Amino acid sequence: MTNHWNDLQHTDCAMIIGANPAENHPISFKWLLKAKGKGGKIISVDPRYTRTSQQADIYGSLRSGSDIAFMGGLINYMLEKELYHKEYVIAYTNASFIVDEKYSFEDGLFNSYDEAKRSYDKTSWAFKKDEEGKILKDLTLEDPRCVFQLMKKHYSRYDVETVIGVTGTDKKTYLEIAKTFGATGKPGKSGTILYAMGATQHTVGTQNVRIYAMLQLLLGNVGMPGGGVNALRGESNVQGSTDFGLLYHNVNGYMEVPTASPEEATYKGFLEKNTPKSGYWRNKPKFYTSMLKAYYGNNATAQNEFGYQYMPKLTPKKDYSHMRLFDAMYAGELEGLLMFGTNPVVGGPNAGKEKEALSKLKWMVAVDLWETETSAFWQEGAGSKPADIQTEVFFLPACASFEKEGSITNSGRWMQYRWQAIQPKGESKADLEIIHLLALRLKELYQNSTKPADTPIKAMSWDYGHGNHPDIDLVCREINGYDMNTKKQISLFANLKDDGSTCSGNWIYCGFYTEEGNLSKRRDHTDEGMGNFLNWSWAWPANRRILGNRASCNPSGQPWSKDKTVVYWDAAKRLWVGNDVADFPKDRAPDIEGGTDAFFMLPTGKGGLFAGVNEGPFPEHYEPYENPVSNVFSNIQLNPAVKYGLEEMNAKGEAKDFPIVATTYRISEHWQSGAMTRNQPWLSELASHMFIEMSEELAKEKGIKNKDKVIVTSARGKVEAYALVTKRFKPHKLKEKTVHQIGMPWHFGYKGIVTGETANRLTPHIGDANTTIPEYKAFLCDVRRA
Amino acid sequence: MAAEYLKFVDVTKCDGCRACMVACKNWNDLPPEYEEFQGSIQSHEQLTAHTWNVLTFNEQETTNGGFEWLFRHQSCLHCVQAGCEKACPEDAISHTKFGSVVVDADKCVGCGYCVQGCQFNVISLATYKDKRGKEYRKAQKCTLCTDRLEQGLQPACVTACHTDCLIYDEREAVLSEANSRLLQVKDRFPNANIYNPQGIKGTTTVYLLADKPSVYGLPENPKVALSQVVWKDYAQPIGKAMLGVTTMAVIGAVISNSIAKVKNGDKGVDHHE
Amino acid sequence: MSKGNPKMVKRFSKPIIFVHWLNAAAFFVLYISALPMYTEYFDWLYAVFGGPAGARLVHRIAAIFFVLPVVIILLADPKGFFFWIKQIMSWKKHDFAFFKEFPKEFFGGHANIPKQDFYNAGEKVNSILTILTAAMLICSGFVMWFPQFFPQAAVMWAYPIHNIGLGLSAAVVIGHIYLSVGHPGSKASLRGMTKGDVPEEYAKAHHGRWYDELKDAEKKDDKRIG
Repeated sequence: MTNHWNDLQHTDCAMIIGANPAENHPISFKWLLKAKGKGGKIISVDPRYTRTSQQADIYGSLRSGSDIAFMGGLINYMLEKELYHKEYVIAYTNASFIVDEKYSFEDGLFNSYDEAKRSYDKTSWAFKKDEEGKILKDLTLEDPRCVFQLMKKHYSRYDVETVIGVTGTDKKTYLEIAKTFGATGKPGKSGTILYAMGATQHTVGTQNVRIYAMLQLLLGNVGMPGGGVNALRGESNVQGSTDFGLLYHNVNGYMEVPTASPEEATYKGFLEKNTPKSGYWRNKPKFYTSMLKAYYGNNATAQNEFGYQYMPKLTPKKDYSHMRLFDAMYAGELEGLLMFGTNPVVGGPNAGKEKEALSKLKWMVAVDLWETETSAFWQEGAGSKPADIQTEVFFLPACASFEKEGSITNSGRWMQYRWQAIQPKGESKADLEIIHLLALRLKELYQNSTKPADTPIKAMSWDYGHGNHPDIDLVCREINGYDMNTKKQISLFANLKDDGSTCSGNWIYCGFYTEEGNLSKRRDHTDEGMGNFLNWSWAWPANRRILGNRASCNPSGQPWSKDKTVVYWDAAKRLWVGNDVADFPKDRAPDIEGGTDAFFMLPTGKGGLFAGVNEGPFPEHYEPYENPVSNVFSNIQLNPAVKYGLEEMNAKGEAKDFPIVATTYRISEHWQSGAMTRNQPWLSELASHMFIEMSEELAKEKGIKNKDKVIVTSARGKVEAYALVTKRFKPHKLKEKTVHQIGMPWHFGYKGIVTGETANRLTPHIGDANTTIPEYKAFLCDVRRA
Repeated sequence: MAAEYLKFVDVTKCDGCRACMVACKNWNDLPPEYEEFQGSIQSHEQLTAHTWNVLTFNEQETTNGGFEWLFRHQSCLHCVQAGCEKACPEDAISHTKFGSVVVDADKCVGCGYCVQGCQFNVISLATYKDKRGKEYRKAQKCTLCTDRLEQGLQPACVTACHTDCLIYDEREAVLSEANSRLLQVKDRFPNANIYNPQGIKGTTTVYLLADKPSVYGLPENPKVALSQVVWKDYAQPIGKAMLGVTTMAVIGAVISNSIAKVKNGDKGVDHHE
Repeated sequence: MSKGNPKMVKRFSKPIIFVHWLNAAAFFVLYISALPMYTEYFDWLYAVFGGPAGARLVHRIAAIFFVLPVVIILLADPKGFFFWIKQIMSWKKHDFAFFKEFPKEFFGGHANIPKQDFYNAGEKVNSILTILTAAMLICSGFVMWFPQFFPQAAVMWAYPIHNIGLGLSAAVVIGHIYLSVGHPGSKASLRGMTKGDVPEEYAKAHHGRWYDELKDAEKKDDKRIG
């Protein structure tokens, strides 16, 4: 989230697309209903009418996988009707930047496409610069080669008729949504976009989110209270886990994992390659060196490149994401797997195949609260023949959150400390303890080794106290970082050094544990204004609650609206002050150079309407991997930058065999693969059956009655479930034809108190071109009576 | 007696999360009941002795071609004139000082008259086993968390509700909130109404409904049943009195006959013999 | 009037006697098992039945035995049954006159009661009330036993009906028992319901018209014999 949960109360309009917060983030509605009570509007855009839709003022239907068409149409509408926030767009975005001549777009493809590699040369989407290297701009936004005009041209193809022919949205509703959300373009008004996995789990997931950000920049909603682009994280601590290097290509604080490429052979080379010349990221060497000092302690010295060579290196350009790991596993390239609280036999794409892949492992360790479908994948209940499976499976019982202490970081980036409530059950251990014991055993095992390959383990510093239970306070202190000489806690990341005199496990968290103590333990209810509660827990970065909040002020530093004041320039004090911590250098005056670079983290300081990700600088509509209609916007059917994985893992269905669009989702009562909730009686009774939701029209066509047992098939598998025939699903009336859609929860498996067949046996093993998140949210299937 | 505090259910604020159901089971330590698939999101067909609140889900096409998915937190209304209380032959059901209608488990004999006496299908019988394995029954239903109210806490469902769909507050505050909310939602829900039926002198749980009561399966205008009046206000007291009168008559006869016998003692014979 | 062996006349058939006592016993058990619920003064009776569930079970078993006599008598002595029904439906002047004098009799005074039928007017009233209250109790009881088959309003009406039925029947039965067991004047009548015969003198005094009919019949028999 750029903003945070409490801040939703300040919105004039919330557009909820690709998310169902009433069901999956219910607390959001505590704040959204406050906004509604003050006259704010709620818009719900979803293939089906959800519990969120019922609380919305406007519900618009769209076919799964048509989000870019939907949003592109809105951008076109805002530009045509001039509803965008012009002063904001000129001051805070790259709209005025002149784009290099190489850039072009034709029939669904941008310039520099390499069909064989299915990739672009992203450097070909650059801005034009003068001799001094300064970007050329046209502040009138009239130059045909400026970002604004190129964007206008790009989205002029997204006229309302074309858009609704792709999305299936009712025209009147679509226009009402455009008008209502467009009203937030007025200076001083703010609108928020809330999204979740319904947006990201597509082959165009990244561009879905990009286009939300573009619309928000156009309407001047980024940085505003009640505005922003807000990812509703699907797990209580998924924000925290990605902050701490969960993703394969990141280390802590969203910095790069080194690759085994020639440029990165030395630490110096690595830093040169990965440090931008401008923007706040030019401080990266300070953050990286401090992190290496946290990893290797006194074994990291200037002489040994601060232990850079101890870091594992990725093969350049190799994809180590979830699906590619399972491809490798299926191909017999992986020996072992260590899994913490993950259940791919239920949650993985094409879960049936992922289960098969597990049986090719030599060993597998599952760390979980219960024996899950995955940890028991070899059992008969899973449909396996135990005698045929050679994988040695270990199960380590883990503690639930109540049985341990530590912090979680919520969607609003608040790091909130939690204390242990009860003693762990049985032999279960906290994840931290398990890792601690593993590290100690490994270090013991290799302590006398003289092999160079073993030095990283020997060099690793592991000073978290003696005994089996690590001292979590020491872990926290190291995450924040301290002066290596004085051992004093560092007060903020700005004070980190690249000379090895400071350590910090995660630079974005530097500032949470100062000499004042662990600030994530703070529970001060005092509201200094606008519900930011600066003394409640601690938010990264630097306790800022609203990212980009410089943009809530006009270029001269005063709020766009008195009602929506978070920070402002105090000319007397010559400081940015207010009820939030300014997301800006606190003494940089508005009228000096860079004084209006509201997004000062970025190299240009401006919000990127034009910004290159793998499939291009402007989001473009492509159909999902499996699609029922041809792409009306171009002849390119699938996102041209999407990579295909192992063919055996990813059978493709055609519309003639599987004419129905399907999507998966979560419901309030269960969580993820159900491992935690389907073992909880009071939640299990609330949703105890696997079901498939479908329209009355489709049910009639297929001779299905409500409560009938039905079988859903895709190119990859079949699932039996109850039919839930509802008025909340309607066929999509597209320009080409009418398309039916069904939806199903993906929470069920064969373990637990309530069981059901696993929806992900149907889903495709293909993902987004940037993140490789699987395309769970749009695929093809057929349905019949069981 | 009118309660000073009321529970207010503003169904137009409900987002259907069902935390109220879990909170209720949790606080009252009620066992789960896994029901058949209902053909909707709804988990339980109706309230039972172990499921004291059920969120109902109702798909409604509106007259203007629109659509509403109506949710209702369904639980005991705690009627001021409660049918269950009136039906109970053991005086096991009574009003607390909070206006909640509660069952005294020690007095309840499990006859089930209250089950029929409730017009809202709220109360029902739970079967338990004693130490010797013998089954016995007790009437069970929502207590408005009277045990929490006594501790100065709010009902568990209210505490769990994050949208203020459920609030527990002073009577006047609730009624004025209900009225102002009614005005706010009338645009979208023209049939919206406040459900606080006066035929039973009102309820301690007041609803703001988005549609007519019957749409939610509620009686439009519940009254104290005539059958209950006949029974409890006339038949039962008269019956008890008649037992007394008859007994008195017999005792009187025995005494007067004895006196007569003594009087006629010298005759030595009964006049019939 | 001698105290030796008075001449006896036959009054009730064996089946009638059997069903009467079966019915009486069932009623007694029903009554006792209902009392704790009817009034709080008898709550202690629950313990006797092993709790409310036990009382409920006993009540339901007894209910079957309460209904059974009608079936038995229809099979075993339909003539006696229909005679009873016919008799209690027949109301004449002497029946009404009975009530004017009865209180005097009841309280041990000298009464001048007109000649009565096989069933005197008091017994007729007792019978009618018994049938009526039994019907009320049986019908409403059935509804209460199987509420799932009836609309809620019907079930709710069953309670007052059962309740009123109980009040009335209890009153009737207490009166009935007293008059047949406790009242010194009606002792002989008990023998009619145990041994099946009553002294001729008793018949003459309490059921004059029946006695007359018996005598008429005897005369006819005598004539035939003679």
